[in-house]
Amino acid sequence: MVTREDVENIALLSKLFVPEEELDGLTESMQKIVDFADAINNAPASDEDFDNINNLSNVFREDEVVPSFPAEEILKNAPEQAEQHFLVRNRE
Amino acid sequence: MKYELVSGFETHIELQTKTKIFCGCTTQFGGEPNTHCCPVCIGLPGTLPVLNREVVRFAIRAGLAVHGEIAEIAKMDRKNYCYPDLSKAYQISQLYAPLIIGGYVELSNGRKIRLHHIHIEEDAGKLIHQHGDTYVDYNRGGVPLIEIVSEPDIRSIDEAKEYVEKLQQVMRYIGVSDCKMQEGSMRCDVNISVRPAGSEAFGTRTEIKNMNSINNIAKAMEYEYDRQVDLIESGGKVVQETLRYDDATGTTSSMRSKEDAHDYRYFRDPDLVTINISRDEVEELRAQLPELPADKCRRYIDELGIPEKDAALLTKYRRISEFFDAAIEGVKSPKTVSNFIIGQMFRRTETEDDKEKFEVGITPQMLGELVKLLDSGKIRNNLAKSTLEKMLDSGKGALEFISESDMGGVDDNALLELCQNAIAGNAKAVADFKGGKEKALKALVGNVMKNSRGKADAQAAEAKIKALILGE
Repeated sequence: MVTREDVENIALLSKLFVPEEELDGLTESMQKIVDFADAINNAPASDEDFDNINNLSNVFREDEVVPSFPAEEILKNAPEQAEQHFLVRNRE
Repeated sequence: MKYELVSGFETHIELQTKTKIFCGCTTQFGGEPNTHCCPVCIGLPGTLPVLNREVVRFAIRAGLAVHGEIAEIAKMDRKNYCYPDLSKAYQISQLYAPLIIGGYVELSNGRKIRLHHIHIEEDAGKLIHQHGDTYVDYNRGGVPLIEIVSEPDIRSIDEAKEYVEKLQQVMRYIGVSDCKMQEGSMRCDVNISVRPAGSEAFGTRTEIKNMNSINNIAKAMEYEYDRQVDLIESGGKVVQETLRYDDATGTTSSMRSKEDAHDYRYFRDPDLVTINISRDEVEELRAQLPELPADKCRRYIDELGIPEKDAALLTKYRRISEFFDAAIEGVKSPKTVSNFIIGQMFRRTETEDDKEKFEVGITPQMLGELVKLLDSGKIRNNLAKSTLEKMLDSGKGALEFISESDMGGVDDNALLELCQNAIAGNAKAVADFKGGKEKALKALVGNVMKNSRGKADAQAAEAKIKALILGE
């Protein structure tokens, strides 16, 4: 059972603010998501390892340097930047 | 009541690969902010990480060097947490199927600190907190790390220090990391608890995060040990929490508030495929390992007759031990070579960095030649010492400073004459010696050594002078 406290805790871990009046609705939605996952978990299946269904292994790159991107490209989508850094405002 | 300290370490070590763990950006330390980055290592949506083969090989070498078992199948997992040092809000790490299982680090007191496992993961970016805000540089983000997780087997601060030193030493030997704590390429999280001496059950532990020097580790552990003992003695309880050590005040303080309690929701990273490690590859890597410091140290003691303490000094840095190995080729007394290295040559390489590089200006063969002259009795110890100084100053070989006439020592007649001259020319010293001043003899011997240009045997000269004076 998903509880209001679970939703509050998840919001906290995700650094999201959830207004009081949305908590009940979100708890209900979250329960539906978990039920959906449970349905998949309970589907009949063999002991096959779904963890590696493509049977892929050992995909590697060689240790060769590729030029990095210019800093202005890297910072292009930053909501805020300063002195060639990503800037994160502390809002507390 | 007496208490026992119980500690386990989580040690992060940056691997010296050329590129990051999942992309081709350079791992070079420093650089202008955000210039060693690409869409993969800043975690843009739609990018796909691909594992650097060399990271796996480096980690296997590290595992072999600490006697770990190399897994046949390893997988990458996502460790979820929300903090600006990780742009993706998860770190790619290993939990369920790490590369290396078990292993140990043996201490000089014979105790083995067991390892739980070693896993590979990506480093996070660097945060600079200033003007009340946070500035983020992702150059370090994605640099490959191994995390070496020990069992809680450490029982004293001295053991903790030696454990870190031994790890540092062996990782440097095998060339997987420079392990520079001050630059952050080696960092330790220290778990620590106390329990009544003789008790089997563990006490509640605290974790001191991100220690970046061996000195601070010792100081923080001492403080935390005292704090926990005081707390228990006064009827309180240790709370399991993550602590930060403040170098300036020498105290620890709580780092995370309760609501930040770990909830990493680890799961298999679907972007990265399974790693299969063939036994052939493991054996190939094992064969490439150099002689490990512990084995080298044992060999120096058992086969070369080097005292234990000296053997430890010689093997602390790989370059020094290699210099020694090359210098003793064909030499009768490896101990003499060791003495010259630990004595005169160490005086010229004072810092850790100097010893690490061990650039002394002469080749090991040059030192070997000098010791061979000494071994064969062609020159005396004093002359060898002063010659070594000149060699180290100039980078030239011994024969540049020692002429044919310096070799072969001083025959008995010549020694007698030198001693007679010394006595004749130093009436005061002779009188002092007769008056009971043993030390006065040194001045006379010194005179003989000077006039023979270091060739005379100082002990023989002393005996001869004594006999001459007392025989008069």
